[in-house]
Order: sequence, then C-alpha cells, then structure tokens
Amino acid sequence: MNEEKKVTKKKNILLSVTALLLLCVLLFPLYWAFITSLKTEQEIFQNPPTFYPHILNLKSYAAQVETGDFNMFRSFANSFLISLGATVIAVLLAVPASYGIAKYRFKARKGMLLSFLVTQMLPVSVLLTPMFIMFKNMHVYNTWISAVLADATIGIPFSVLILKNYFASIPKDLEEAAYLDGCNRFTAFVRILIPIAKPGVMVCAIFSFLYAWGDLAYGMTFILDQEKRPITAGIFNFMGQYGTKWSYLTAFAVVTIIPVALIFIFMQKYIVSGMTSGAVKG
Amino acid sequence: MGKIKKIFRYDNVGILFVLPAFVYMLIFVGYPIIRNVILSFQDVTAANLVRGDKTFILFDNYRELFADSVFVTSLFNTLRYTVLCLVFQFVIGFLLALFFNQRFSFARPVRGILLVPWMIPVTVTALMFRLLFATDIGVINYILRSLHLIGENIEWLTTPGTAMFALICANVWIGIPFNMILISTGLTTIPKELYESASIDGANKIETFFHITLPLLKPTIESVLILGFIYTFKVYDLVYVMTSGGPVNSTHMLSTYSYKLSFEMFKYSKGSAVANVLLVILLIVGVFYIKATTKGEEEE
Repeated sequence: MNEEKKVTKKKNILLSVTALLLLCVLLFPLYWAFITSLKTEQEIFQNPPTFYPHILNLKSYAAQVETGDFNMFRSFANSFLISLGATVIAVLLAVPASYGIAKYRFKARKGMLLSFLVTQMLPVSVLLTPMFIMFKNMHVYNTWISAVLADATIGIPFSVLILKNYFASIPKDLEEAAYLDGCNRFTAFVRILIPIAKPGVMVCAIFSFLYAWGDLAYGMTFILDQEKRPITAGIFNFMGQYGTKWSYLTAFAVVTIIPVALIFIFMQKYIVSGMTSGAVKG
Repeated sequence: MGKIKKIFRYDNVGILFVLPAFVYMLIFVGYPIIRNVILSFQDVTAANLVRGDKTFILFDNYRELFADSVFVTSLFNTLRYTVLCLVFQFVIGFLLALFFNQRFSFARPVRGILLVPWMIPVTVTALMFRLLFATDIGVINYILRSLHLIGENIEWLTTPGTAMFALICANVWIGIPFNMILISTGLTTIPKELYESASIDGANKIETFFHITLPLLKPTIESVLILGFIYTFKVYDLVYVMTSGGPVNSTHMLSTYSYKLSFEMFKYSKGSAVANVLLVILLIVGVFYIKATTKGEEEE
C-alpha cells in the first residue's frame, strides 16, 4: 500500500482541509445536539441562535440525578443491563454455531445457514405482536428479560455469519495438531480455535451490544413501566410529554451516545471490520 | 468404507454446535413468524388477544387493507422513501469513498470518524434531526432565512411534503457511512496495475472510472444497494420518533402503520397483515441478496 503514489505536498494540504470541512458538515448534527445540551432554555430559544453556549449550563445533566420525571441514569443502567444480557446470549450461542457451520459439512448445514441469513433481514414489525403474546404467556412481559431475549435475536444471526468466516479461515492443520497433543474436539475448539478467532468474537460482541443499545421497538413494546425501560424508550417517552424541553432532550441524547463513543474510540478497527465483512460476504 | 463412515460421523457432530443458536432462533423468530401469519388470517383485537375465541376470517384483513387509503399511502411512501434514500446515500457515499481513497494525511482518520453517524442509536438521530428541523429554533430554518431563501420559517415536520424530506435527510445521514465504507473496501480490492496500464494507454480519469472502477465494483455495488434496500425498507424507529407517521398519516411507512394498528388501535390481526406485506417484499429482495452472498460460499 505504501508504494502507492502519494499526493504532492500542496495537494495534501488542500485535500486535508477539504476532509476537515466535510467532517464539520457531516458531524454538525452531533455538535449541535451537544452544545444545545449545554445551553440554558432561554439561550436555545434565542434568535439568531448561538453556535456555542454563551452561558454554560450543566443543569440539564445535574437535574437528572434528583428529579423523578425520567431518571436518565436509571434508564441508562437498564439499557446497559439489557444490552449486556443480549450480548452474552448472542456470543455464547453464536460462537459454537459459527464454528459448526464453518468446520463441519453436515446435512442441514445449508438450510441453517440460509435461515440465519433470512432472519437478518426481518423487520421488527413481523415479530412484535407474536413476541408480545409469547412474552405475556411466559410471564416475562414488562420485565427486562423480554427485551434481552428479543434483542439477542438481532445479534445471533449477525454474529454467526461474521464468525463463520473467521473460523473458516483457520487452517485445519492447527486443529489436527491439537488433536495430536491430546485435545479432543471440544477442548481444541475452546483452547485453540476460539483464541485465534478472538478478533471476530470481539466484533460480534460489539455489534450485538450496539444493536441492543440502539433498540427502541422491543424495549418500548415489551416493557411498560418507565423505570424498567431502556434509555431509548425513555427518551421517546419524554419527547412525547415535554416535546420542547430541548436542553433535557439533548442531554439524554449525549448520555446515550457515550457508550457508542467509547466503543468507537477504543475499538474502531472492529467497527470497520464488522461493517464490511458482515455485509459484503454473508 | 470405514473411513467414509468416520468422516460422516465427524461431520454430523457439527450440528450439535449449531443447534443451541438454531433452536433459540426457532423459538424467538421462527415461531413468531408463523404465529404472525396465522394472526393475519384471524380477527384478533385486544379483547381476544391472550385468551378467547379467535375466528379465522382468512383474507378479509388483506382485502380490507388494500381498500384502506392509509395502507396504500404507507406502501407507496415506503417505496418512495427507500428509493430516494438509496439514491442519495449511495451517490454521496460513493463520492466520499473516492475522495478518501486518495492518499493524504487525514484520509484514514477522518474517514473513520465519519462512521459515527451509523453507530448512533436511531432514536437519538431522530431526536437530533427533530432539533435541526424545528420550526422556531431550528438551525436549518435559520440558515435558509439568513441566505434569504425563505421569508418565513418552514414547519418542516408538520407539513406533509417537507416531513418526508426531513425523514429522508436523517436516513441519508445514517446511510452515508455504510455506503462509503463498503465502497471504500471495494475500491481497495481493485488491482493497482489496472490503473497504471490504463494511464499508460492514455485513458483519462473519467474513462478509467467508467471502464475499470465501475465494472470491477459491480459485486460491491450490488450488495450495498440490496442491503441498503433491506435496511431502509424496514425502517421503523426513525419514522416513529421523528413524525410517528404524521402529519395526517402522510409519512406512515408499512412498519409504523403496522405498529399503529397493533399497539395503538389494538387491531393485532390487521397490524400483522401489514407486517406480512412488508415481509413478503423484503423476502423477494432478499432472494437477490442470498444469491449474491451464497455465490462465494460455493467456491470455498
């Protein structure tokens, strides 16, 4: 890659400046939400609008700790618990499943692979009502368990399809060497293969978490009580009730983005790999 | 013979690894799909949802739907929305991919940061765009006013035509990174020698784009568009949070109308029928996707 012709110095500066301008334009919505959360309500309604907070106002965040309307931190914790639960289920089930699909040629293999592919494109609308009835019958309706169970169905097919490529790329000799060293199939899988496929497992965990973190439909439909709901449903609820309290609303938005931002900062390489390998080749 | 038997047995063990995930999906996805199909042929409302008699009315729900103007509007809205979103996010994503494919210092880090909009929970994106498109405090109205493009503030989200426009903008914003990164990856797979020999042959940039880049990117473009269609067509959160299908049902999509019928009007069977129409269209498109993805599978 490095031997590729580099642009001239002058062009490099020009292109870099253009890139930064593009960045500013494309990320403007995020910046705007962030500074709105730091403004007073008065300043938000000021005309012409201010492009940075003239009076720094942290009340929108602080107020959440005390007031009972919508406790942002509680919703945050709910979301975290739900997303973590969904991630654990997805990874625990998808790791062996993808290994099975990648390394064994059994009869139902193609059919199963196809069914994972199909579930990836299902709209939530198809599942909501029957899941709703099912969770009522299982007595998990209006508990966080319902959201965990539902959210895991997004992470599993994605993870299986991604990880199967990781396992498929591990040469068979490695596995056979493990057998010679006294491993059986199961211990070879746990001790040799999973550690090699670890980057893939990370991608799956991250995406399962992100999918669950971003979910609105399941959390809103299966959990009724505001204090048990995930943060996305909380925001939606709050928007309906106090639609114009933008300082609060944008503060919720910023808090909801924090885990996403952290994942992005520390695990960016997995994001790119998940977005590309998951999509182009199933 | 003994050897063959051994291989046979070896391979069959594989199913045991797959079964837990498969059974999970069967219970929480497979069964609901079938249940949803059955529901759509019944007359289930809030009264007989959990218990009580459910009468089969077969295709009555579907027949009524196609006479229902809101359903027909949502069907066409979904199509129009999907096509317009795809066009814009694909073109912008493609141009950005080409731009960042040039070797300059900031290319990689900036392209990386541009992925963020795709990762953000859609509920938050919807909220941010509601703020941008707000009538009185919206920064979009402010910019248009300052440029003297409009005299009075536009009520973006409460006017039928403009509400759809705002939705498309938000969706394109989410879709750009996805298109950009997939096309970027596709671009790196094109052998550099091809470009070198083209320039020796005296081809200009536009010619190389149409004769080398585009044809070689065809598989990438196909999957980007098909996947984009699937993701956009089943849009739910974005529309639900930004407009809830309003004003006067003008931005309803199949998914939001299905939700409204089931969980706001408690006509569960009718809602299911709408969801099934959505599903059938997705499956038809999905066939193309599966064909494209399993092509590589055979060669492995």
